[in-house]
Amino acid sequence: MMRGSGTARQFSTQLAVIGSGIAGFAASIFAVNRQIATAQVGNTGALAYTTGYLDLIGKRGGAVVVDPWQALASLRESEPKHPLSRLDTGDIRQAFTEFTDFLGACGLAYSAPGTGNLTALTPAGTLKQTLCVPATMAAGARALAADAPCVIVDFKGLKGFSGAELAANLRQRWPRVTTQRIVFPGMERGEIYPEVMARALEVAATREQLAAALRAVAGTAELIGLPAILGMHRPDQVRAELERLTGREIFEIPTMPPSVPGIRLRELMQQVLPQKGVTLIPQQRVTALSFEGDGATLALCDAFGPIRVHAQAVILATGRFLSGGLEAHPAGIREHLLDLPVTQPADRADWYRARYTDPRGHPINSAGIEIDDSFRPLTGEGRRYHERLFAAGVILAHQDWIRGRSGAGIAIATAFKAVTEAERFLAGRQAMAPGAPPLQCH
Amino acid sequence: MAASAIASINFKAAALELLPEGANFEACLSCGLCSSGCPAAGMENMDPRKFIRMALLGMDEELSTTPWIWCCTMCKRCQYVCPMSIDVSQLVFLARGNWPEDRKPAGIVRSCQLATSSDSTSAMGMPPADFVAVVEEVLEEVRAAQPDFRHLQAPIDRRGAHFFVNQNSREPMNEPEEMVPLWKIFDVVGADWTYASKGWAAENFCMFSGNEDAWREVVRKRVDAVNQLGCEVWLNTECGHSYYSMWQGIERFGLEANFRLESIVTYYAQWIRDGKLPVDARWNSQGIKFTVQDPCMIVRKAYGDAIAEDMRFVVRTLVGEENFVDMQPNRSANYCCGGGGGFLQAGMTEQRRTYGKRKFDQIAATGAAYVLTPCHNCHSQMHDIGRFYGGHYGVVHLWTLICLSLGILGKNERIYLGPELRG
Repeated sequence: MMRGSGTARQFSTQLAVIGSGIAGFAASIFAVNRQIATAQVGNTGALAYTTGYLDLIGKRGGAVVVDPWQALASLRESEPKHPLSRLDTGDIRQAFTEFTDFLGACGLAYSAPGTGNLTALTPAGTLKQTLCVPATMAAGARALAADAPCVIVDFKGLKGFSGAELAANLRQRWPRVTTQRIVFPGMERGEIYPEVMARALEVAATREQLAAALRAVAGTAELIGLPAILGMHRPDQVRAELERLTGREIFEIPTMPPSVPGIRLRELMQQVLPQKGVTLIPQQRVTALSFEGDGATLALCDAFGPIRVHAQAVILATGRFLSGGLEAHPAGIREHLLDLPVTQPADRADWYRARYTDPRGHPINSAGIEIDDSFRPLTGEGRRYHERLFAAGVILAHQDWIRGRSGAGIAIATAFKAVTEAERFLAGRQAMAPGAPPLQCH
Repeated sequence: MAASAIASINFKAAALELLPEGANFEACLSCGLCSSGCPAAGMENMDPRKFIRMALLGMDEELSTTPWIWCCTMCKRCQYVCPMSIDVSQLVFLARGNWPEDRKPAGIVRSCQLATSSDSTSAMGMPPADFVAVVEEVLEEVRAAQPDFRHLQAPIDRRGAHFFVNQNSREPMNEPEEMVPLWKIFDVVGADWTYASKGWAAENFCMFSGNEDAWREVVRKRVDAVNQLGCEVWLNTECGHSYYSMWQGIERFGLEANFRLESIVTYYAQWIRDGKLPVDARWNSQGIKFTVQDPCMIVRKAYGDAIAEDMRFVVRTLVGEENFVDMQPNRSANYCCGGGGGFLQAGMTEQRRTYGKRKFDQIAATGAAYVLTPCHNCHSQMHDIGRFYGGHYGVVHLWTLICLSLGILGKNERIYLGPELRG
């Protein structure tokens, strides 16, 4: 019998996380911090599309939210079924703190969750509210607020990032912002991608060449704004090095997907979690999930053949349509793995309102699965689907994360809750020793 | 004589047949993660996203004739990073096979023709008798020149041996002394192994040429050779695509293989764990830094990260934890070096080196003095781009370092080591 076509490879673990978006990775981080043996599986999802900003609540009812913690209080009153309404504010804050601390310890520094939202730049030169930003991006908003002399530099061949567009949209609030276009070292011809530029900047020689090109156009600017290209694995070091070489403060502005901050997060997680003992199979879709008396079994298949993961508890963080957690069929929306009931408009004709830009959003965007207070999915009769099953992320019903600017917040906070509840379940079952290990990253 | 015309393929229809459920063209979001992460993006005015979009638009003639299919190494990184798991490489393989032989890159075609020309299946055309002669000659030399190895064995056609060991033709053809470290390792661990006069070669460029009949023929000869000797394991030595072409060939063509396919990397790790290969890093008192290149063909396209972890265990043990620097990205997310897919043989030097620039940057970012890799195509490509882009690193086989660590590496077995390790 040939290897690769034989019996399934078997893994056993305490907790299986299904999904490799922010919710899935956050769940693994929280589980690692709690010394829960974890396997994370599920396809890549939309993680690579993130700007790098971690939103909690950026908008409510179409209005900008300055204080997301206050917004949480009003959310609880107006939308009690919203996933964030089911969580303690302290837990949400701890979830963000733990998540950003972990990233920081692994070499991707983030601002800690503050008392209010931060104002952040978008690729179009508009502004948005967010809770935590990568350290590489923090200086942009500060410079804007201070009207510091700044040059935004874009690159020949780089699509979706225009210094002229940014400057035009920002100039009313930021009169001293200017723009320049340069050629990226070694990429004189054709279309170029932020990912490729970022990887090239991991090399000292490329940094030196870019710094020389930046110095040549920086003029009297005190800051240089760049698309998010400051390295893939050592962005804070790359930024510091370019600042030293140019004598200016440098910050990143997110780009359109496929963007570096998302790839950074994905590659960081794929690098670090296995080092911390997580069995990570991030690019394969789970095809079946079943529950037996003593646990759950996940079935999947990679290039090499079938895999089975046996777990004591499972967190479902499979996302929405893009990631495959939910599927839209002519007869309605379905949850693909267990066929969990999906709360949704009664009729397909009601999925969307007449106007795409309707500030109230569209009913389909609040479709999702139902959970109880322990974040266990519910059956159509309102009973727990299984005591070993928990859910997290934007697969949950009663939220519209895009209009609420709350995607990362829902993902991180609900993952925290799901892991907390899974830990409680596992402790009850196995008298697991409590206590989180010290935060470390090698 | 005028070159043959290239027929047009209906790529959209082909994709519906080839791509698994849930991974069809219609699922493409046009997000560009594939192209962003592809070293061949932009060459010949093509990239994976554009390929998919053009297929969807029915631009079959352009896709059927684009030379980009010979720049794509079919490494499957685009599929790996695609949220929808769309596999462009299958369409590229289809397009390659559709090109008339006289239009395909001559080097790939020639390598395939040579492989099918003898029972050796050697892409360099080395016949069985020559291989046997070279092995015997080198063995004699080692026995004479290295007293510690006067008993060394290199069996050929030994029935019932546990391991049927393959060999990349480059060694017996061009650098036969490079076979010796492998034999010494087998000697140290007491492996029950044999070469074969037939089907011994590792490489299979017929697969890269898109010639399915020839691919099948090469794999069939190898399968027959292993079956005839009754070996339990076909052991793929340090050659990446050899494993993939054999594994996929057996499955694709429904061949009956009465043996297991294994990679020597798995055994290096196992022998070290079992104490049979007592290697350590004491030799590396200078703190020389090493990185590893994950061959697409045995990591992303076959075993996945498990074998990448085995390789890291081996290398960390060999060079010292503090002297190992991982390339980024790595394991299943690693970039193809640009030596795969027949690129090295295709004669498209400028494109190949442009492709390899990303690998060069990856290596340069590690600051490592050496790259270790269990793949000959990776080895040759990284060696070439290192020289072309002014790098200061060496490329070595794992077997070299294992024997170096064991203190049994002969003086003439150090051709890929720098002066500080030539001894």
